[in-house]
Amino acid sequence: MDRQGTLAFVPARYGEGTVGGAESVLSDLAHGLAGRGWEVEILTTCARNHYTWENEFDPGTEQVDDVVIRRFPAVVSTPRSERAAIGGAIEHGHPVSLRDQQRWMNDDMRVPEMYHHLVDEASRYRAIVFAPYLFWPAFACSQLVPERTILMPCLHDEPAASLELFSPIFTGVRGLWFLSEPEMALAERLHPDLAPHRIVGAGVRVPDRYDPEGFRRRHKIDGRFLLYAGRREGAKNWERLLEGFAAATIHANLPFYLVTMGTGDVRPPSSIADRVIDLGYCTNEDRDDALAAADAYLQPSQFESFSLTILEAWLAGTLVVANGQSEVVSWHIERSGAGLSYLDNAELEECLRFIAQEPAAAQKIAASGRDYVLTNYRTDDVLDRVEASIADWLPARDGGS
Amino acid sequence: MRILMVSIYPPVRDGIAQYAIQEVRALRAAGHHVDVCSPEPSAAHFHIDLTSKRGPYALAKLVGRYDKVIIQWHPAIFYNVPVTSAERRRVALGLLIAFRRAKSVDVRVHEFDVVGAHGAGLASTLTRWMWRSTDRITVHTSTEQHDFSAAYEIAESKIEVIDHGVNFTRRCSATRAEAREELGLPDDSYIFLSIGFLQAHKGFDRAVCGYRGLDPRRATLEIVGSLRVDDPEYVWYVDGLRDLVAATPGATLHEQYVTDNAFDLWLVACDAVVLPYRMIWSSGVGARAELYGRQLIATRVGGLEQQVPEGTVLVDDDEELATAMRVACGQSEAPKVEWTNLEEADQPAIQAEIIRRAASSGSANRIGVASLPAEMRRHVPLLELPATASTRATATLLKKIVRKLTGWELNPIVDRVNELAAAVALARPTVQDQSEAAPSSTPNQEELPG
Repeated sequence: MDRQGTLAFVPARYGEGTVGGAESVLSDLAHGLAGRGWEVEILTTCARNHYTWENEFDPGTEQVDDVVIRRFPAVVSTPRSERAAIGGAIEHGHPVSLRDQQRWMNDDMRVPEMYHHLVDEASRYRAIVFAPYLFWPAFACSQLVPERTILMPCLHDEPAASLELFSPIFTGVRGLWFLSEPEMALAERLHPDLAPHRIVGAGVRVPDRYDPEGFRRRHKIDGRFLLYAGRREGAKNWERLLEGFAAATIHANLPFYLVTMGTGDVRPPSSIADRVIDLGYCTNEDRDDALAAADAYLQPSQFESFSLTILEAWLAGTLVVANGQSEVVSWHIERSGAGLSYLDNAELEECLRFIAQEPAAAQKIAASGRDYVLTNYRTDDVLDRVEASIADWLPARDGGS
Repeated sequence: MRILMVSIYPPVRDGIAQYAIQEVRALRAAGHHVDVCSPEPSAAHFHIDLTSKRGPYALAKLVGRYDKVIIQWHPAIFYNVPVTSAERRRVALGLLIAFRRAKSVDVRVHEFDVVGAHGAGLASTLTRWMWRSTDRITVHTSTEQHDFSAAYEIAESKIEVIDHGVNFTRRCSATRAEAREELGLPDDSYIFLSIGFLQAHKGFDRAVCGYRGLDPRRATLEIVGSLRVDDPEYVWYVDGLRDLVAATPGATLHEQYVTDNAFDLWLVACDAVVLPYRMIWSSGVGARAELYGRQLIATRVGGLEQQVPEGTVLVDDDEELATAMRVACGQSEAPKVEWTNLEEADQPAIQAEIIRRAASSGSANRIGVASLPAEMRRHVPLLELPATASTRATATLLKKIVRKLTGWELNPIVDRVNELAAAVALARPTVQDQSEAAPSSTPNQEELPG
């Protein structure tokens, strides 16, 4: 494999305390490829929180392992009221003019210094990889050098996905990396002239060991529990999960706590407030131990492009209970046979009732999950696919230094 | 040098934004520190709403930090519509202060408005002072240089003509054959290209009309572009263009936003670029086509004549455009469509054929009306401007001059009248509708008193 040239990965956020699937996948790819001998840079903002975009990291350059990190200030210079108003119309499926779509995109966090870094330096990179498509850095900067751009859209079937605004980046970049077949099918449906594309998936880090008892001890958690790890927000259906869990707990007298880790406000209903344990941001090791200790991992989100956490749950041998409205998650469950899905609170209740009453049977279902992950999503296999597509789309002779 | 550029800026889709980013790239590559200020949030470092009361004064505060200010001038960045006298006073006074505070001001004029430029009123006087307080004004053609000089009473020597493509660089290294293969175009056809945002003043419908009658096996017309804004008149125009293209074998409308690279790929793939504009100041498409040495066929409007390279075929009307396209692709003979089966054809059949041919003849102002059923079309006479041809040569010349001078105002009115007429015709009940409606209306009529 020819590993000449520098690769740039451009997540909107990077570093300790950032929670996000796309950010995590890009970070793993960057470090994985650096480990294989590539020169790798990460271009990102100084922000940790994707609501406030407050600049919490210092701007400038640092080295993390073999990777150069370049941070640029995130700029939020308006009250974002226009974005909120137009975003409401988009969410409700109302027609929104292209002019308003542009206003919606630009009335949010922007990164002019990153943009101009690429104006000056883009030709230095062999490939520039952006994710996810919805954030300004990917949208604006990928159009600067489409011939060197690879977009990992992390697309899901949300109202914004079909906006004409995004057409240039889906059709004009050098290539697209998808995480799953349903994600690719959706992109092909939305953009018939899709740029060259491949499914590369995402690598799942395989922990050396799990320490479920250590997790319980560290966090003083006794008894059976269900786990949700990730962003606690409406877009991930967090409130609906709380509502469903509360109803199921009361109706079925369930024995579970709901343990959660990640970012965002938890706000449980008072009826189950004593059953919800918020651990805030946790390390990857803590999360892995929690997965191994849990009776089941809950994935309430409808809009998923890959759902890394359910694969991590399966690696830990834990059953997944997921929102069946997510095409991607349903696809994983169908292929692995290692999960249960629900379409409403009644079905969620029945899933949880089953796990409460038949833990051995639940564990038996979950058992096939680990093999599924190891067969399909080994980090090395993903890196092989990524390298092959870079070699095909951006051979070294056409690339940067 | 520290430079501030004031411009519409990416990722906003706009021609001036594309021009600006190319100049920013060139200046930064030359070692200058360049910051950008745009009228709306964008990839620029600052954004100031210059149409607000305080906008020009906010700009005045900013400019002091820089050695030079470069303004990509378009009236829409600064003026609110309608441009009243008070509005011109607001802009002129604010910018006059900003320009005086700046160490150096370069203005790249992409379009300008001469309304009230000569007046003795305060607004006109301030506007002239504003322009005179700049250090350098650049335009893209000598026509603009002359008009601007005359309007604002500024010496032509202070107004510099710069090549529209001065900061343009090639973005495509493919050969013509490779470009065609990538775009799925035939490798053995002569390809005409009209590319850019789809809007009436670009006149892509004229290219379709000019192309009509050419042998589609030997030449094709590719129209590539997208709506810039989805205002009703733009949407209506594209609807009409779509109909026109659909009725023209060999013409294809690729409705898509064209990325920078795809733009150049299309230029490389084609044989000739057609610029059938009704109105333009100067053309970025023409400048980019020149980079690749592509044949240009352009209407003689705005400053195109001065801008385009030697060898460009300039035309004055639709007939000349059609001829130029025929000559370019080696189909010099005007197409002759035979009348067949005349012995067997009766009058209605011949009449129908005449209407069909007329509908597809592509008269530019038939957009919208062309899609009407034949019967309706006969009840909707087209409004057309009087012919310029006369038995006296001097009268013809005079009429042509008047047409040229007034066309920019009259053509949109004619188009709009025809559009309304088409809408009325579509809404008008047909004879069949009336006869079907008659039975149910009869009893009610009988119930009417007296």
